[in-house]
Amino acid sequence: MKTRNVITLIYVLALPIIVLSLFVGPTQSAGLGAWMDALWGRGTNTDLVFTVIYQIRLPRVLLTFLVGGALAVSGCSIQAVFRNPLTDPYILGLSSGAAFGAALALATAWLPVQLSAFVFGLTAVGMSFFMARKNNTVAIVSLILSGIIVSGIFTSLLAIVQYFSDPFRLQSIVHWTMGNLHLASATKLKMAVFPLLLGSATIFVYRWRMNLIALGDDEARSSGIHPGRDKAILLIAATLASSSAVAVAGIIGLYGLIVPHIVRMFSGPDNRQAVPLNFVFGGTFLLLIDDLSRSFAGLEIPIGVFTMLLGGPVFIYLMKKNNIGWND
Amino acid sequence: MERLTPAFNVENLSFSYREALVLSDVQIEIAQGKLLFILGRNGSGKSTFLRLLAGLLPCRVGVIQVFGRDLKDIPMAKRAKMFGFLNQQHQAVFPFTVEDVVLTGRASYAGFSPKKADFEVVRETLEKMEIGYLRNRIYSELSGGEQQLVMLARVLAQQPRILLLDEPTSQLDFHHQSYLFSLLRTFANAGLTVVSVLHDPNLAFLFGDDFLFVKEGTIFRPPNGIEPWDAGFLNEIYPCEFQSVPFNDRAVVFPKITL
Repeated sequence: MKTRNVITLIYVLALPIIVLSLFVGPTQSAGLGAWMDALWGRGTNTDLVFTVIYQIRLPRVLLTFLVGGALAVSGCSIQAVFRNPLTDPYILGLSSGAAFGAALALATAWLPVQLSAFVFGLTAVGMSFFMARKNNTVAIVSLILSGIIVSGIFTSLLAIVQYFSDPFRLQSIVHWTMGNLHLASATKLKMAVFPLLLGSATIFVYRWRMNLIALGDDEARSSGIHPGRDKAILLIAATLASSSAVAVAGIIGLYGLIVPHIVRMFSGPDNRQAVPLNFVFGGTFLLLIDDLSRSFAGLEIPIGVFTMLLGGPVFIYLMKKNNIGWND
Repeated sequence: MERLTPAFNVENLSFSYREALVLSDVQIEIAQGKLLFILGRNGSGKSTFLRLLAGLLPCRVGVIQVFGRDLKDIPMAKRAKMFGFLNQQHQAVFPFTVEDVVLTGRASYAGFSPKKADFEVVRETLEKMEIGYLRNRIYSELSGGEQQLVMLARVLAQQPRILLLDEPTSQLDFHHQSYLFSLLRTFANAGLTVVSVLHDPNLAFLFGDDFLFVKEGTIFRPPNGIEPWDAGFLNEIYPCEFQSVPFNDRAVVFPKITL
């Protein structure tokens, strides 16, 4: 009964947190009070307050929420597809692949940023999968190891892109790969909203089938479901959502690992409940982390730094708890 | 009386893993509504045969017909309503509840979202198997035997006309073994076709209607006039000496022990 209340609370608090986040930021003059004043036509800087809140903060808040939700949902589906509780877009190498794709597009303009991130994100997933696969199964540890290698390869390729970029662009690429939302804008929101929502919505539709996929291929096939087809659809959807997240917000490492595990503590592993809860909790939680990082006036710590510092210990804990060893 | 279409009709079936030939030129008919056991030594190809029947391995050489239709022509969702398959073992990864696990058996009916009727079938199936008390338990925390019963419930919730079971008793204790076989017996009496791979010939002889033996890539029934529990016949299948002890107009067998 208690977890039921927590779930309700997560859904109920999402909207107020989104709204209140509009009034958080280094610009002290654009708080809740100033906005109320501006609405009633009082105060001196009415235009400034509206600009800050609607044109700077609103896109950032919405983008942060969507990115957080999409990463969490992607992580959840990737864990089901690989039957592996220790994976997410970051560990799979997907994030690094997408980051390289996006940086390459920024530096050379060969493809739109989103598309290039998607193409290389998908390439990375494919590489990790085929490297780890043996006798038609993908062992938990093999997948983590091949993810490290794939991640390393794309990080190196990214370094090459950075090396050949001019210093001005270099700084922005470096900033962005660390996971950063301070460059969020209405343009970026418009660019990413469709793939973020399409990927998440597809996973939402498949959420019950993910339970069956997580049981195993033989079980799925003998219950009348093509495991290969469902997995491909889920992986493409997860790649679409998380590579767009990377393209607009950089690498927010391990976020897709942490959130599904927190959510499972409340909803249990049944993906019918877990998927929507991941989206809402993932969005709200990232927004809170971002609010925190925005509250340090003047000095903005990249959000990816926060999530990695949080995710590292969580990963170690999960590894110990699940008793993951060389023989799995 | 009109003869029923066989549940399975297998013709000229051969199968190999890479170079190794596992089954060669199998011709077998499996009748409807019978409790059939497949016996043979480890590695003889019993599970391979069962997986071929279940469509989990591709039938490249030969033909497998289910109720008179070529298995290849039957779409996956239709197959699930014809036959259910129980794997020899299953490794749980996520801590799903028993209800969640059994509910997945309804995939070919429910599509993307289970309906109220699907939950009802799950509840009835668990009750019928007398494991209703497990419904809200965590599947991965159950004993091996309980997990096996839950996975069987999952197959039954699929409501197939044929059950294909690979070693359904490998994890079960003495009580659950006899319980399961009586259950399979009632299913067969009610018209369900049950095809099960089994290690223990005696359990098969106590409960079964029909017996297939697998040896060196061939699948066959005992020759005319010879009962499957005949000690001499069994000696050809399992390379040890047996003695047959009559029991309820059948017989059980024991290995001959020399002390």
